[in-house]
Amino acid sequence: MNYRNVLLGGVAALCLYGPAMAADTDVTIVLNEELETVEPCMSSQSNIGRVLLQNISETMTELNPEDGSLMPRLADSWEDRGNGTWRFHLHEGVTFSDGSTLDAADIKHSIERTLSPDLTCEIGAKYFGGMTITPTVVDDLTIDVTSDPAQPILPLLMSTMTIVPAETPMEFTRSPVGTGPYAMTAWNPGQNIILDRRDDYWGDQPAVTKATYLFRSDDAVRAAMVATGEADISPLINQIDATNADTDFAYPNSETTYLRLDSSIAPLDDIRVRQALNMAVDREAFLGTLVPEDAQIATHMTVPTTLGADQDLSVPAYDPEGAKALLEEAKADGVAVDTEILLLGRLGNFPNVTEVMEALHGMFTDAGFNVKLQMVEVAEWVKYYSKPYAAQPVPSMVQAMHDNNRGDPVFSMYFKYACEGLQSGICDPDLDKAIADATATAGDGRGPAWAKAFEIAHDLSADVFLFHMVGFSRVSERLDFIPSIATNSELQLSQIKFN
Amino acid sequence: MQSFLTKRAISSGVSLLLLIVAVFFLSRLTGDPTDLYLPVDASAEARENFRELHGLNDPLIVQFGHYVADLVRLDFGESIRRARPALEVVIEAFVWTFQLAVITMAIVSAAAVSLGALAAFHVGGAFDRIATFFSLIGASAPDFWIAIVAIVVFAVGFGWVPTSGTGTVWHWILPIGVLFIRPFGLILQVVRGSMISALGSAYVKTARAKGVTPKKTIFVHALRNAMLPVITVIGDQAAALLNGAVIVETIFGFPGVGKLMIDSILQRDFSVVLAAIMVTALAIFLMNILIDLAYAALDPRIRY
Repeated sequence: MNYRNVLLGGVAALCLYGPAMAADTDVTIVLNEELETVEPCMSSQSNIGRVLLQNISETMTELNPEDGSLMPRLADSWEDRGNGTWRFHLHEGVTFSDGSTLDAADIKHSIERTLSPDLTCEIGAKYFGGMTITPTVVDDLTIDVTSDPAQPILPLLMSTMTIVPAETPMEFTRSPVGTGPYAMTAWNPGQNIILDRRDDYWGDQPAVTKATYLFRSDDAVRAAMVATGEADISPLINQIDATNADTDFAYPNSETTYLRLDSSIAPLDDIRVRQALNMAVDREAFLGTLVPEDAQIATHMTVPTTLGADQDLSVPAYDPEGAKALLEEAKADGVAVDTEILLLGRLGNFPNVTEVMEALHGMFTDAGFNVKLQMVEVAEWVKYYSKPYAAQPVPSMVQAMHDNNRGDPVFSMYFKYACEGLQSGICDPDLDKAIADATATAGDGRGPAWAKAFEIAHDLSADVFLFHMVGFSRVSERLDFIPSIATNSELQLSQIKFN
Repeated sequence: MQSFLTKRAISSGVSLLLLIVAVFFLSRLTGDPTDLYLPVDASAEARENFRELHGLNDPLIVQFGHYVADLVRLDFGESIRRARPALEVVIEAFVWTFQLAVITMAIVSAAAVSLGALAAFHVGGAFDRIATFFSLIGASAPDFWIAIVAIVVFAVGFGWVPTSGTGTVWHWILPIGVLFIRPFGLILQVVRGSMISALGSAYVKTARAKGVTPKKTIFVHALRNAMLPVITVIGDQAAALLNGAVIVETIFGFPGVGKLMIDSILQRDFSVVLAAIMVTALAIFLMNILIDLAYAALDPRIRY
């Protein structure tokens, strides 16, 4: 054998070692971080949700992100039986990817597993805190779910509860089994996750036959991968990489940025000071500069499509002179307006967050406030943001970003505004009552009840609202898929078509 | 030799032990993993359950006792984030880093030693000037910049190689290429300097006077003697790579131990941090032994 033959053989081997050709109906999705687990009860984490939710693991109900309505999924219908009990009627003939048939015992096990203290599932911690849920099997296709205290939105809560077979052990699984249209066929840690379409899926067959998930931390690399055809969708790219109108989409990502004011400490306990802070911010100046121009100025803790969001509410116009006048008035009444206020920002919370915080610092200073800016990592930030506060009590404005894409303010308002709320900076009896009333209200009265709570929080100038944010996705031109508000937490392969 | 290895093992073991103690307690100073693992809306009850489940409520010294007791049984604990044995997670990542480091350092060493030796043979010549110019640029250019430029030019622009990932042989070209540049520049300069000194020595002049060919003079007589400081630098650069090339791993989506360590530190996944440090420390210990053996092989005066 001569050198030439060896060389040619080597080149041929290298070429053959290339990737197998993908089918026209396969897609590749590149996420911004690797999945640490594929446990269905952790699907409330964005990237786990993007892989598992409604692809592998389905829920009894499903939220329609466009109008906030609730749609059937594994449950065909549900009814309020009173006293906190809701009855769910399951779809007949649903099978898991392991071949077993879905019945009420699976639902019961899924609920108990998700809420088990032995697992500390994020879905349990995030959506079911402070309540006891008791599932009772009525028959194979009927289950009663009782909550204590009663939850008028229990069917909505069930849109977060991923269903697994009753045989799933009480530990995190590495082989998720679900009723969804796809099954996980490979998980190569550090490299990829592969889902294949199930031929025996109970619902309509989706167009995508196979999905490969890749993981790249670098924003520019993810954008480049779609540009070169290595990937078809990058759900999250940086604003500065979103340069191609044919492939790059801005979408409301259900995140609201704001400054949480600690109104228990002077001078923030004075409403004039809080109003002045709101007047000192030139929100318009941020749009199209440090914040994407598609972002919306926020007037609520939740996005405008949330139940009860009042379109008539507004934030004060930029008026630094008016802010100064309010501060003078407060000072004349003995309020210590010269006290240093800590402006705490969270590093990496959203693109340009440091620059936004520096600009805010400048605006507050111009309006006469004594503000000290500090940018910190999440571990330090949480000491100021979430109770019990580990940090020393100081007058503070904590920059935060809140995500509520579940359509109901209950996932926001108690935590952010009730006296006992973990991240609440305010304590007001009227607001507490309004939140409690809205939480307990069912039916048509729920929207107005929440509107009232929003209005009270607004009138108290409880926070400095900034923006309802947008995310940017890059989608290959070969796909017919437009990212929506849901893309922040899930990416249903069945919604992807091909051009 | 056996006594040398025993001494090195004992001294490395003591260092490792001190490292474990320091990292265990220092990492705990960063705070409670509960804050990062559970959503900020999680109830106090859920947080308490989490702490209890992972033994975070125990006094620190008790946690350390449990850790050491498990370690004796070669149980490195479980990754909180991944719900898997920490050692398994680390080994998985370390295999990638090890391959990347070995391939890169093999190419770097071969290229830097041969080109550095040739540059030293004609000091001030065109080849020497070009080699010195590019090696200095390579040694001083930042990795992240080279990586991004390489992706833009070779993956997006020319489409010759994939942007990132690990699927095929082609995926290795950019990460290795980027990792190659800095140690290549550095080692080439060390080889050049060491060779200039060796080529000026009496035994090389004697060899030349006896009519030994330039090739044999460089690669047999001078290079062997010039290699001792070079091996030290190669070992140093290899140790840096075994610790993980964080920037390259992050940009190219390479699932190595460097990125794993940084992620685990940020996530307060203490078991993984400790396991990663122990595995890389062990690898560096073994590599140092190999370097010592290489000294002995190159210089007959060195005996253990």
